[in-house]
Amino acid sequence: MFVRKSLHSLTGKLIITIGTLMVVGSTIFWYFLFRHQEGELIKNSVKYGYSFVDYVKKSTRYGMLTFQQLLIQQTIEAIGSAEGVLHVRIFDSKGKIAYSSNKKDIGLVLDKKSPICISCHSSPGVPPKDTQTVSISRDANNFRVLNIVQPIYNEVACYTSACHVHPREQKVLGLVEASLSLAPLDNSIKHQGIAITVYVLVFLFVISVVLCTILWNLVSTPVSMLTRGMEKVAGGDLDYHLDINTKDEIGELAHAFNAMTSDLKKAKNELVEWGNTLEKKVQEKTEAIHRAQAQLIHSEKLASLGRMAAGVAHEINSPLTGIVTFGHLLLKKFPAGTEEYEDIQVIIEQANRCSSIIKGLLGFARASAAEKAPTNINDVINHSLNIVRNKADFFNIKLVTNFDERLTKVRADSSQLQQVFLNMIMNAADAVEGKGTITITTKNIRDNSGDFVEIEFRDTGPGIDDENLAKIFEPFFTTKPVGKGTGLGLAVSHGIIQEHGGTVFVKTKLGEGTSFFIKLPALKEGP
Amino acid sequence: MNKKKVLVIDDEDIVRTSCSRTLAPAGFEVRLARNGVEGLKILEEGPFDLVLTDLKMPDMDGIEVLRKIKEGWPAVEVIIITGYQTVDTAVKSIKLGAFDYIEKPFTPDALITAVSKALDRKNA
Repeated sequence: MFVRKSLHSLTGKLIITIGTLMVVGSTIFWYFLFRHQEGELIKNSVKYGYSFVDYVKKSTRYGMLTFQQLLIQQTIEAIGSAEGVLHVRIFDSKGKIAYSSNKKDIGLVLDKKSPICISCHSSPGVPPKDTQTVSISRDANNFRVLNIVQPIYNEVACYTSACHVHPREQKVLGLVEASLSLAPLDNSIKHQGIAITVYVLVFLFVISVVLCTILWNLVSTPVSMLTRGMEKVAGGDLDYHLDINTKDEIGELAHAFNAMTSDLKKAKNELVEWGNTLEKKVQEKTEAIHRAQAQLIHSEKLASLGRMAAGVAHEINSPLTGIVTFGHLLLKKFPAGTEEYEDIQVIIEQANRCSSIIKGLLGFARASAAEKAPTNINDVINHSLNIVRNKADFFNIKLVTNFDERLTKVRADSSQLQQVFLNMIMNAADAVEGKGTITITTKNIRDNSGDFVEIEFRDTGPGIDDENLAKIFEPFFTTKPVGKGTGLGLAVSHGIIQEHGGTVFVKTKLGEGTSFFIKLPALKEGP
Repeated sequence: MNKKKVLVIDDEDIVRTSCSRTLAPAGFEVRLARNGVEGLKILEEGPFDLVLTDLKMPDMDGIEVLRKIKEGWPAVEVIIITGYQTVDTAVKSIKLGAFDYIEKPFTPDALITAVSKALDRKNA
């Protein structure tokens, strides 16, 4: 499995390809080197063979000229006994062996078709070649044998010699034939061949090891690192960093990979962040829409309540007039202090209470008919404080103002705002139950939707619990004792502030107190 | 001394009765009308010192009655009776010549005071 995988890998393919090329190349190299070496050696042997034959001719020259047959035979025998010399023979012009290192050959006539003769006497009728010939044959041990045949040409000394004068016109007087064993050469070639083969194999092995190592380090390892990196990144690990710092293409690839991963990570982060902020924005918008919707419903409620109140006021006030009037008329018929007198007074008081409820309800109808002008909130608060300051209810209440002297003006109906502020102050006074501190703070604020003036009414009362907090802006909701509050003050205030484009909100902590905030749009400074 | 003549125009029976039961014992001669048209007819019958008129009535409202009175009988003082007071109608009625307006429910004393004040000005 591993082997098959390795063979299919890039490194495997490279090693197989390069290995094959190396083996083929080395084989060709080995073959030609071997052949060349062999050829050179044979060429040298032939040269040596020629010298040898020359040497034979020169050694026997004197014997020939003086026709001393014994001397010639002895010389030939001496030469023929040298190592590597198989035999040396001298033929006369008739093809008869005249002298031989092998004595029994003397007098033997060789057939023209014998291997030695055929090289010159190629076919009958054709004049023989009169140049030296070389042939290589094999002996019984399959060693090479070098056969050299050299003609002995006629010379001046030959045809002028007194002994056995050769005719002048005869060109070739005889032949020298030598057979030299090339066994040492064959052995040398064989040893050299083995040596070269071993060298080539060692070379191939070393090259293969080096090649494998280099390829492994340069290709296989970085490629598998890249593969692992790709798998990691594909699996979502964008922090993965490839630690390849080479200057080659793999290094560049790794660098590009790292850059790509970090870009991917950046893009992913941006996307995630975008997704998060989008979610937050959608949430914010949804909340804003919900708030606007709730306010719209509330406004609609208040508006219809206002319309209803106007109608009810008209209808109820007339019968109340009757009750009050006749109550008073009846009152005159009983002296003060009598039970009847007291009862009638209760009737009148309750009728008046009805009337004040109706008046409170009418606040809704009035909220829509505001007369707005640039107004300084600090002044309006001061007016409101002046109204309450001398009231007995406020004798033990500390009124603290914390005004921003550079408060921006707002476009508002000052009498309506005064009604709102009075309501806030009265509520705060009720919350501290006649004893405590009411702090009124004004300041300019700026948020996403623009510039605003914020007024805070903070009391040191007991705070509002969650259950009541949800209802405080509902009409007719009150925690005050029966007869003391109509439950319309905050609802009307809320309606008025809304009509001015502002908002009212509460922050409260049980046991510490409550802050009512009124936020009104600041008037844009005119040119 | 002649009794001062006061005309009360209101579509509500109880308001008319309340006014007459308050003003008559206080020495005023009180006539009652159920609507503007009837009120103007009564005005034509003889001189009145003062008219108390409701603001919101079917057919002809208090503002219209006030305008007609000021056209035909400029000397007659008018006090507007209103179920609820708004700045708009208050300003409008004063501009048209009403002496005052009185909010329902009113006490007998408040009504007598308002009527007396109006008549005092007329005599002054």
